[in-house]
Amino acid sequence: MNDRNLARGLFLIAIALTFGLMSLRYPMGDFSRAGPGLFPLIVSCLLFMIGVFTVIRSRFSERVHIEFNWKNIAIILASLCGFALISHYVNMIAGIIFMVFCASFAGTASYSLARNLKIAAGLIAVGFAFQKLLGFNLPLY
Amino acid sequence: MEVLHNLALGFEVALTWQNLMYCAIGCTVGTLVGLLPGLGPLATISILLPLTYSIPTSGALIMLAGIYYGAQYGDSVSAITMKIPHASSIVACIDGYQMTLKGQTGLALFTAGVSSFIGGSVAIVVLTFFAPMLGEVAYLFGPADYCALMLLGFVCVSFVTTGSLLNGMAMCLIGVLLGQIGTDVNSGAPRFTMNLDFLLDGVGLVSIALGCFGIAEITKNLDNKDERTPFNGKINLIPTWPEFKRIIPSALRGSVIGSFLGILPGGGPVIAQFAAYAVDKKVSKYRHEIGSGAIEGVAGQAAADEAAARTSFIPLMSIGIPENAVMALMMAAFIIKGIQPGPNMIAGHPDLFWGLVASMWVGNVFLITLNVPLVRYWLSVFKIPYAVLFPSILFFCCVGTYSVNSNLNDIFVTAGFGFIGYLFLRLDLDAAPLMLGFILGPMLEENGRRALLLSRGSFEVFFTRPISGSLLGLIMIFILWQLVSFLREAKKSRARLEATTQ
Repeated sequence: MNDRNLARGLFLIAIALTFGLMSLRYPMGDFSRAGPGLFPLIVSCLLFMIGVFTVIRSRFSERVHIEFNWKNIAIILASLCGFALISHYVNMIAGIIFMVFCASFAGTASYSLARNLKIAAGLIAVGFAFQKLLGFNLPLY
Repeated sequence: MEVLHNLALGFEVALTWQNLMYCAIGCTVGTLVGLLPGLGPLATISILLPLTYSIPTSGALIMLAGIYYGAQYGDSVSAITMKIPHASSIVACIDGYQMTLKGQTGLALFTAGVSSFIGGSVAIVVLTFFAPMLGEVAYLFGPADYCALMLLGFVCVSFVTTGSLLNGMAMCLIGVLLGQIGTDVNSGAPRFTMNLDFLLDGVGLVSIALGCFGIAEITKNLDNKDERTPFNGKINLIPTWPEFKRIIPSALRGSVIGSFLGILPGGGPVIAQFAAYAVDKKVSKYRHEIGSGAIEGVAGQAAADEAAARTSFIPLMSIGIPENAVMALMMAAFIIKGIQPGPNMIAGHPDLFWGLVASMWVGNVFLITLNVPLVRYWLSVFKIPYAVLFPSILFFCCVGTYSVNSNLNDIFVTAGFGFIGYLFLRLDLDAAPLMLGFILGPMLEENGRRALLLSRGSFEVFFTRPISGSLLGLIMIFILWQLVSFLREAKKSRARLEATTQ
């Protein structure tokens, strides 16, 4: 299974099936009066065909190893979601501080409290500049 | 005469001090962000898009265009000095970096700057005369023709950006499907919204752009763990007269090639650079030096790059169909500012159109007077460690997403697309065609449905109308050519395999 070409084909098939099966629930109409489900169904079918072709082709081409580093993407996504949640329930300044401290775990450099505080302070200043100078509606406090 | 009058109107708009300032800020910030590793024009524009929300329309468009060509110049600077390839500056890495190795960094940067100026100026002349003309042609287009043109755009973009028609088409189709999320305009039925209210208006383009280009790129850079060494060499910008004389012919050749290739569907800076470089290698007086750090190797491609970047605005502004991913993003920016690009744009908003055209030239002057001399200072952004940069880029992504609708939920959508974008990266799928599919998907559906409604469900209309018939014919020829070359390649590799086993 550890083959990028095969994984790509299966991924495309999965997307095509998700959209295609969902579009079956909407009215189809006919070609002269197309319903909301017809166009997405056609596009999903095309994507499905490309996916199947990719899977078939992967049997004849050389295997390419696929690598995932789940740690970094998980940390980045957690810091984004944390930023949104904390900004919603507390305020954006707390959100910025959380994001900087959480995201820094993904960095290659050693974890530094002082550096993170400086980055957070800088970004809060940028946030205020956006709010006051450019008129952004940021819930900073 | 009319053209001169129009241009005068354009310069009147572009030379107000506010617009001059927006243009200068756009060029400078675009260059700075474009310099950063992994951030090409697409990512740069999507990260900086929110800066333009609170600016008046003409200023915002001028600033965005400035960001675009600023980012492109920034790209070529990082390619020349440090051989960091971006999608838009692959060719600059070849001779530009060779010149740096020979200690001619200043000359290479100067050549790129001056050639961009020449390319941009030629393209503006083409834009001035050609855009209104093409706008007239656009009135001949019916719904079926628009469909065929969009499909041709998909095929060309898929092939040009990814090199693999199959992968590119898959991404275009995924983009089209993502564009279906939301309320169907014809029947009012919600589609693929999963009963989430905030999806009724569809997925925001900014969320997709920032997710797939901003967040996915950051994660890729973090995975690669490569710390870059900043450029510390000497930069001597002033060339000698014989060196300067070598720039001109190559830059002019590149400008013409770039201007032409920029207009075609799927065209744009990337393909123009390669074409100009190939032509220079064939016809230049110094062709034997190209590849080992020749001025011509930098000048031609830089001019073509800039010229194509400008002329690719022509299909967007005169027909209303973006021909590559950057233009799709530009179109979204136009729509956010309440302007619908298309044949009516030139007549309906002459001040905006001609102001933008004139500002491109002003932007060129800024690039050459501000950015080229100051480039050694710009390069100091590389001294900022990535550990400091990436939380800041993340913050800009968040603010960018949030400020479209002042809605924190959009950040979750961006995070979701960041994950999907990361999967795309790992599966070797290029996200650029997805953007084009996303923007054009709803238009494709609307025009397709209208064409079929008018023809009472018959597909004949797509083949009998001269414009759509010829465009579809082109697509068929292209697909056949791809199929034949694929089969030939398969045959060759089988023969090779047999030869090795024997």
